[in-house]
Amino acid sequence: MKVALDAIRNCFEGAIPSVIATCAADGTPNAAYLSQVHFVDNEHVALTFQFFNTTRANVLANPRAAVQVIDPNSAAHYRLDLEYLRTENDGPLFEHMKARLAGIASHTGMSKVFRLQGADVYRVIEVEALPGQVLPCPAPRRSVLAALRACSQSLAACTDLSGLLDTALACLAAEFDIAHAMVLMSSERGDRLYTVASRGYAESGIGSEIALGEGVIGVAARERTPIRIGYMAREYLYSRAVRESISAGQADRDLETEIPLPGLRESHSQLAVPIHLGERLLGVLYVESPQDMRFTYEDEDALVALAGQLAATMALLEPGDELGDTEAVMRTSGGALSGNAVTVRHYAANDSVFIGDDYLIKGVAGAIFRALLRDYVDHRRTEFTNRELRLHPDIRLPELSENLEARLILLQRRLAERCDYLRIEKTGRGRLRLCVDRPVTLVEVPADVR
Amino acid sequence: MVDRFADVLDEVQVAFMLGPVSVSVAGRDAANVPTLSRTVGCRVSADHRRVTVFVSASRSASLLDDLRSNGAVAAVFSRPSTHETIQLKGEDARVEPLAQGDTALLAAAVDVFAQELVSIGFPEHYARAVHGGALEDYVAVSFTPAAAFVQTPGPAAGQRIDARS
Repeated sequence: MKVALDAIRNCFEGAIPSVIATCAADGTPNAAYLSQVHFVDNEHVALTFQFFNTTRANVLANPRAAVQVIDPNSAAHYRLDLEYLRTENDGPLFEHMKARLAGIASHTGMSKVFRLQGADVYRVIEVEALPGQVLPCPAPRRSVLAALRACSQSLAACTDLSGLLDTALACLAAEFDIAHAMVLMSSERGDRLYTVASRGYAESGIGSEIALGEGVIGVAARERTPIRIGYMAREYLYSRAVRESISAGQADRDLETEIPLPGLRESHSQLAVPIHLGERLLGVLYVESPQDMRFTYEDEDALVALAGQLAATMALLEPGDELGDTEAVMRTSGGALSGNAVTVRHYAANDSVFIGDDYLIKGVAGAIFRALLRDYVDHRRTEFTNRELRLHPDIRLPELSENLEARLILLQRRLAERCDYLRIEKTGRGRLRLCVDRPVTLVEVPADVR
Repeated sequence: MVDRFADVLDEVQVAFMLGPVSVSVAGRDAANVPTLSRTVGCRVSADHRRVTVFVSASRSASLLDDLRSNGAVAAVFSRPSTHETIQLKGEDARVEPLAQGDTALLAAAVDVFAQELVSIGFPEHYARAVHGGALEDYVAVSFTPAAAFVQTPGPAAGQRIDARS
């Protein structure tokens, strides 16, 4: 019986290792175990190239190969007839396989042995279902397509970025039973990602940052490819170990202004999906679980579709935030102040902001907060527009405007977590209000002093 | 052509092959297109010079055709819990009906392999199904090992066993 490759992707999840047969030019057959068969598309698979072994030598001389895989649920056997095409040593496919291999290696105690040298891409000539006894498969937990549809409908009703992010995470929990999730946005320069929304963690981690290329999230972002691993891979864990190993007594500035990334300490399954429009990276949707093999190929499919809708909706929401803000907004505060005066410090060196002694935020969000507070302290002004922030000389915001909205959300959420007497409220499309309940002193520290 | 296997299989290797291992048998056709079948169970002659593996005929039609026409064979034996793996190669494979007692050997091999899978966390019903099925469908493939290789993953993988010092 002939079978479509995507119908048997579960066989590639690595539960039962696959076996490959090749043949040397002199006619000597060879059989070997494979760490990973990777589904590329319906006509291609990729196999890991880790050692220069007989399999490798054989396919370079004679490209034909046969692979036999076993379904992890039904125990059905399938044989794939393959033809070796090429080896990729970098790029999305390579990085995805490298991350998966790290998980498999750590799961099987092979971390010191397995190292990906290349992703060997094969054309699939034929997939054959082999006769034999198979187990009945249990009904799926739920229809992934129905779950995706429900999420998609909820997202379509969102009219601002903040609501869109929260709805996405709420939908993952409600429809996919994915309890731990976060959205990170790309920084203005595109070299870092910062958390704007999270769900299912003791600490929200809003404002935490990672570098492009760091861990599963950073690699998914850099390569614009989803990455899904089913076993804990230590080198891809967002451990706080580094932070914890640094003496608490050293008040290093970088450490002081670092918000820990949320994340499970023992994350066994991870799936990071880039949110992008073509090559333009907007952010990353990341989910994880303490269970092995929690996310399937179908979950990956669904999250890629959701990330596509997130990207398109983010882009659609962009131009609208300028509407109706042409009139000057100079309303001043009428609110009564009470309680102890609070000192807010802004350090120009990195735009970091401290409320009292507590770190709030740095970078663009820090610069925005300083600008708002400066106007408030000097002029008692509380109503602002996105447009003026975008044009503000001290904020140094680049042209891509979804960053402003994302930075405002970041600032708004960090403030909400850190204190109850300074707030930012949205008052309409492209408008916001700074709410101040206690007397505030703004101390500005120039770049060369601290 | 593979070099002559200077040694014969030793007791440890034979014991390993008769243990809870999966067996994968490869052949190739006249155009060097490889064929493959996964199974369990084997028997080794008293002098250790002849190895017989059992494959499902219905799952291995092309492989059996190739073995009958040219005799070139490779067989990998691997233990899931340890990843310990050896590969044997031969040039004189013959396809034969099961001999007396083979069905019992095969049934025992299905059992011990299932127990091995259970020991590393697979559910029993699944472990039994991986190589279960109609045993009357099986045939024997016997060959003289002409070369043997260690294939346990790691730096020693691919080393010829008779090259050890």
